[in-house]
Amino acid sequence: MPSARTAPRRPHGLLALPAALALALAACSSGTAPGGTSTPDGDDPASATVPARTTYPLTVEDCGVEVTFDAAPERVVTIKSSTTEMLLALGLGDRIVATAFPDGPVPPALADAAADVPAVAEPMSDKVPGAEAVLDAEPDLVYAGWESNLTADGAGDRDTLARLGVATYVSPAACKAPEHMPDPLTFEHVFAEITEVGTIFDAQDAAAALVAEQRATLDGVVRDERGLTALWYSSGDDIPYVGAGIGAPQMILDAVGLENVAGDVHDTWTSYAWEEAIAADPDVLVLVDAAWNTADAKIERLESNPATAEMTAVREGRYLTIPFPATEAGVRTVDAVVDLAAQLEALDL
Amino acid sequence: MTTLRARPAPVPVRPDGPAASGARRGAGWWVPAGVAALVATVLVTVTVGPADLAVGDVWRSVATHLGLGGLLGLEPLGALQDGMVWQLRLPRVLTAAAVGAGLAVCGVVMQSLTRNPLADPYLLGLSSGASLGAVLVLVAGWTVLLPVAAFGGAVLALVAALGLAGALGALTPTRTVLAGLAVSQLAAAATSFVIFWSATGDSYREILSWLMGSVAGATWTSVAVAGGATLVLGTLLASTGSVLDAFTFGDTAASALGIDVVRVRWTLLVGVALLTGALVSQSGSIGFVGLILPHAVRLLTGARHRLLLPLSALFGATFLVWADTLARTVFAPRELPVGIVTAAIGAPVFALLLWRGRRTT
Amino acid sequence: MTETRTAPVATGAEDRRDAAVPGAPPATDGLDAARVSWSVDGRLVLDGVDCTAPPGAVSGLLGPNGSGKSTLLRVLAGVRAPDAAPGRDAAHVRFADADLLALPRRRRARVLALVEQDATTDLPLTVLDAVLLGRIPHRSLLAGDSAADRDVAAAALARVGMSAFTGREVATLSGGERQRVHLARALAQEPALLLLDEPTNHLDIAAQLDTMRVLRDLAGDGVTVLAALHDLNLAAQTCDHVVVIADGRVVAAGDVHDVLVPDVLDPVYGVRCEVLTHPRTGRPVLVFDSSD
Repeated sequence: MPSARTAPRRPHGLLALPAALALALAACSSGTAPGGTSTPDGDDPASATVPARTTYPLTVEDCGVEVTFDAAPERVVTIKSSTTEMLLALGLGDRIVATAFPDGPVPPALADAAADVPAVAEPMSDKVPGAEAVLDAEPDLVYAGWESNLTADGAGDRDTLARLGVATYVSPAACKAPEHMPDPLTFEHVFAEITEVGTIFDAQDAAAALVAEQRATLDGVVRDERGLTALWYSSGDDIPYVGAGIGAPQMILDAVGLENVAGDVHDTWTSYAWEEAIAADPDVLVLVDAAWNTADAKIERLESNPATAEMTAVREGRYLTIPFPATEAGVRTVDAVVDLAAQLEALDL
Repeated sequence: MTTLRARPAPVPVRPDGPAASGARRGAGWWVPAGVAALVATVLVTVTVGPADLAVGDVWRSVATHLGLGGLLGLEPLGALQDGMVWQLRLPRVLTAAAVGAGLAVCGVVMQSLTRNPLADPYLLGLSSGASLGAVLVLVAGWTVLLPVAAFGGAVLALVAALGLAGALGALTPTRTVLAGLAVSQLAAAATSFVIFWSATGDSYREILSWLMGSVAGATWTSVAVAGGATLVLGTLLASTGSVLDAFTFGDTAASALGIDVVRVRWTLLVGVALLTGALVSQSGSIGFVGLILPHAVRLLTGARHRLLLPLSALFGATFLVWADTLARTVFAPRELPVGIVTAAIGAPVFALLLWRGRRTT
Repeated sequence: MTETRTAPVATGAEDRRDAAVPGAPPATDGLDAARVSWSVDGRLVLDGVDCTAPPGAVSGLLGPNGSGKSTLLRVLAGVRAPDAAPGRDAAHVRFADADLLALPRRRRARVLALVEQDATTDLPLTVLDAVLLGRIPHRSLLAGDSAADRDVAAAALARVGMSAFTGREVATLSGGERQRVHLARALAQEPALLLLDEPTNHLDIAAQLDTMRVLRDLAGDGVTVLAALHDLNLAAQTCDHVVVIADGRVVAAGDVHDVLVPDVLDPVYGVRCEVLTHPRTGRPVLVFDSSD
């Protein structure tokens, strides 16, 4: 049975030192630092002198399912990139025993952390693995990026896994049932997931630090005020699949300051019609770059079709690209906002 | 009465030898052989899977659950491994066996009732109706109602098909087939519409898996439902050997042999629909089993139903268990829906049967 | 035609114990059907048909295409129910003191057998299996074939001269061979009344004569035989009693010599016929030419 641990976490590109490190330094140097007392340190709001600890058993409600943790999970199978990256960003890479269904390579910021985790370099499956294969890795938690990953012919039904002693956790931003789906998705939801995962793994300080860092970064982004419109082109050929009004695409576009032409559709993503896109004639096109549907292929498609070739954004090559793994709500989302904002700036409209 | 034997006819040659009447001489050992094959299949396939479980460990788990642990001094397996065997593999294998047996028997009955070698259990729109019910429920998110909705859809489709066929006049084989086809197409169109209109990105996978047929989610409840339905309804259907034989040369001949054609046809169709509906509600619409198995077994035993029915059940069960084993191991760690495997095997076999049939007539 | 109703025909459980018991003396009664009507979609196919067939004789049912012969045979066999005509006397179909219309199906299948035209199957059924189907009315639905059943089937096949074909698949037979297999199946039912719908259709002349010989032999054993025939000469040669129907009505019925005459046949078939006498058998022989 896994038990609570107190090992310090290695920070990854974080600006603020977690309190644990501060305490360790304090313990190493003699006499000059307040050792072990719980004097609150007013300078850094992200850290407290005594790190918050999770008490177990811990019960969380996730997509309408109650999940109880008796201790911090130690053997995690992650499905899809957002969950793998979440654990890496929180310094929990050593808990990952297997990964599956990656959406793409990890971002450069996490590359070092990923290098230490063989399961990331060699996922157990390109697509959703079967239940037996997942159980073969003897996990105590399956952390899934999509709710549909956890079905009987996917990685296993949540009830069945729970009965076998395997906890399951779905990224809350991906809940499908109307009463659990974030509507609309905001960064508060994203930060709440980071905090919740931190609580589950008894890594609250790392989570708090990460949230603080991301908040700061997000606050630093200058929203574009020109009222430019955009279309978030995710996939699809004859019938484009685009970001709609209440999901991650909308959240990202809002933060950058772009108006989503498909934003009035009350869904996370939606099928669209080229006719509508042409009629709306967005100022910029955000293209999702995925291995099976690259941004270049999208550009070629847009330019070769005589109707779409007439769109302003196509004629003038106003493309912003975003890698596919960054389009699911997760630890990369804020960086994606920063990146898109920079690309928009560079377009020099 | 006729004095067929009072007349000095030439000494009748007692027909013996397998060629005389299918494999009647071998009839004695076909059924036990089928049973043995099925039992062996279950015992072997439960030890096969993507996880690395030793054969001995698998047996340990089964024995422990059967209460033999104390008797044989066995230690139970770790929770996860035990769960793999007892919660995942064994229910799955047993459900596949029950579904394979039931579908094969239904296939035999449907082919004989409609006198159509291309008939299968889904003929009356059963699978399309069940699919519509299932897809509606999957899209609405009420996944727990899936079996009920699938069964309900199948029954509604049956009512529609029989109602349509009956409204056209007496329930002849041709009308039954055509009415079933009409209902199938209608339900399939409705299903496609529902999928297109409402399905979000990642629910396609679940829907597709159901439409192709899969026993991946089998639990002990599935075993109870599928197994119970097959044992009860399947046995009843399998006992109609002589009645189905009478239909061989058509309704008139059957009637002249003393069969109440209308009542029998309705009863058997309803029986097939109930059994198929129950099976489809647990496993989705697995194709080709009900279509191919009867033909394959006929090649071995001839067309007499008394042997054909139970043997189709046994071989259907064995076939589907192996097909599911392939489905979950060939592309490990990914799993295929078993319907893909049955189609991959069934389609070429079907083509072969057609080609063979062309040559003999 | 009136029958004296004397010995009732056994139609009960005794049938099952056919084994070595030689048949009871055949009943002196035959088939007696009266006022049979049948319509479909408002079209009257049979209109008050009276039809009798004496026991121990071969009776012919004659008439042009579409006259209703097949339908009449099906009604007699119980496959179709005659119309219940309001305001008219109900139809009756009696055979040897038993009301065939009221008889339960399985009992009826032990009394009479029907040989149809063109019954085929795609299934890989052997000839022996096809003949064994005729034993279904005689055994429990759950039982398999017994040795007695196989004996009866073998005897039936021998009777129609198809013993050599026992293991062949029905689908591989020629039309004539299949026809004989169906006859054998009917014989396996051990009927007292045998109804046949154009049994000589696909047969060559030798086989035709052979089939008629089998029918005559059966009649000699006491079976009541009623066969729809299209070949008038075959009827003339084999039948003792004929019924001629046209447009769903009986035109004439009686002895062959009395019915197969130009006055009856010319208007029914729309041809001109001459009746000659067969030099050896003394039976009528008909020659035709078209009416002007």
